[in-house]
Amino acid sequence: MTTMTKKKRHPAWSYFIAFFVLMSFVITSSMLLFLNYFAEASGVVFTRENLFAAALATFGNAIFLALICTGVDVLRRRIMVDRPVRAVVEAARRLMRGDFSARISPAASKGASDGFDEIINCFNTMASELSGVETLRSDFIANVSHELKTPLSVIQNYGRMLAAPSVTEEERLEYAGAITEQSRRLADLITNILKLNRLENQRIYPDAKKYDLGEQLASCLLGFEDVWEGKGIEIAADIDDGVLVESDSELLSLVWNNLFSNAFKFTEPGGRVSVSLKAEGEDAVVKVADTGIGIPAEVGEHIFEKFYQGDTSHRTQGNGLGLALVKRVADIVGGEISVESEVGRGSTFTVKIRMAADEKALGDT
Amino acid sequence: MFKILVVEDDRDLCRTVASFLNGNGYEAVGCLGANEAYDAMYKDTFDLIISDIMMPEVDGYEFAKTVRALDENIPILFMTARDDFASKQRGYRIGIDDYMVKPIDLDELFLRIGALLRRAKIASSHKIEIGALVLDMDERTASRGGEEIPLTAREFNILYKLLSYPGKTFTRMQLMDEFWDAETNTAPRAVDVYMTKLRGKFEGAEEFEIKTVHGLGYKAVIK
Repeated sequence: MTTMTKKKRHPAWSYFIAFFVLMSFVITSSMLLFLNYFAEASGVVFTRENLFAAALATFGNAIFLALICTGVDVLRRRIMVDRPVRAVVEAARRLMRGDFSARISPAASKGASDGFDEIINCFNTMASELSGVETLRSDFIANVSHELKTPLSVIQNYGRMLAAPSVTEEERLEYAGAITEQSRRLADLITNILKLNRLENQRIYPDAKKYDLGEQLASCLLGFEDVWEGKGIEIAADIDDGVLVESDSELLSLVWNNLFSNAFKFTEPGGRVSVSLKAEGEDAVVKVADTGIGIPAEVGEHIFEKFYQGDTSHRTQGNGLGLALVKRVADIVGGEISVESEVGRGSTFTVKIRMAADEKALGDT
Repeated sequence: MFKILVVEDDRDLCRTVASFLNGNGYEAVGCLGANEAYDAMYKDTFDLIISDIMMPEVDGYEFAKTVRALDENIPILFMTARDDFASKQRGYRIGIDDYMVKPIDLDELFLRIGALLRRAKIASSHKIEIGALVLDMDERTASRGGEEIPLTAREFNILYKLLSYPGKTFTRMQLMDEFWDAETNTAPRAVDVYMTKLRGKFEGAEEFEIKTVHGLGYKAVIK
């Protein structure tokens, strides 16, 4: 991998010859021009003897000037090209060896020719993106195995405890309930991993069709009717009529279902979940707000990452993949998602999607 | 007692579903493949079929298509690991009635079977009876204890729909799509007007009540 063929460098004397030829040519041409005019105007005829010394001095001069030029050029190259190139190559090699912390110091571009600072900037951005992806990947694997193994071991243990002859009726029910609960959790996790995997690995061509977003929100929200009735959560729906989007409705329903499911999950009984849809300029803006536990700012930054869960005490209720799915879908359909939150007061997720061109076609009488 | 046919190639799953249903007031027969299911249906009649999609030899689609060709009313419920829209669409186009993604929740399966059987009864008798209230689809009349309650055709259709799926909320748009012409440019809020009329006509009814669900839609709740 690292056997990168080093480009053969020209030795300094080859530069010198080039500069010497150049100087000789320039000086000879100027001299000839000057002497011609001079001879014509003054009528002086030059002889070989009186020119020889002058020619010798001029030859020496050409060598001297060529030397100076070579010196200056070598120095210039060293500062403006070689040094930054070496820094870039060095960092690229480290990256190739898997060292994702490799960065080029911006000082390397000081005095370098134009464009190097840009190359260095791009390189550093690339390196930090790569290291982000790498950390995510290794974290992901660690998290997946943890999340898969925990419920499995719980199920295993309860299965074994159920087999004991001394189990009371009450214990039996408790163990069976725990097994059901854990397998449900495992099933949800696997479903989400598969969905996310499908979204990430397949090249997705969103199946865009024009449809009424308000209607979709209403029917997705109604899918949670049992949940809010069971938990005693108040619903506030403020959905504008006739807001059309041109997008993949199946993908977007993943977004709404995940946001709603989170909102209901983190809202205590007696709380409130509000959903609104408004047309703002060219965007359809969907807001899903809850009066739940809220998200601290430092958590908010990571909330769309896989397996990131703000509150570890709620781990049993989710699997940390929902918002990663949501973000991925938003990226695919060209939407924007953001979150505003205050700890203890609740969170508001905002999704912006470009509206379809003639949004007035529906809903107007 | 209702008879249910369970077609599922995984022996354990087939057995657990069948024994759960047997323990909850149904008479369930488990089959490990479509051919076995055809034999069972030849010997016996069933009220509902639960079928997997991915099975060796004959798959669930093929099986459902054959069953639907013979009996257009029997409710078919797909119970499958496939959760993509295309598979669901293919199933519903063949004429299945419900679709559940594995792993299935047995309690939910129980609820859905109840709803499917109730709708199948409504579909075959063309009648909804709640206490003394009778809605007759063929006559498009509503009556209580033999006394007719005057309803317009659209009022009747909306009420029939809501009472066929008690407890399920319909959005205005869903009702519009079904009961208004596609060309009419009526705003979805026109549905509100009909709900007000229906509520007026059934004010103080003991059988059911039409509830507004948070500006999302309407549902009928049986008391």
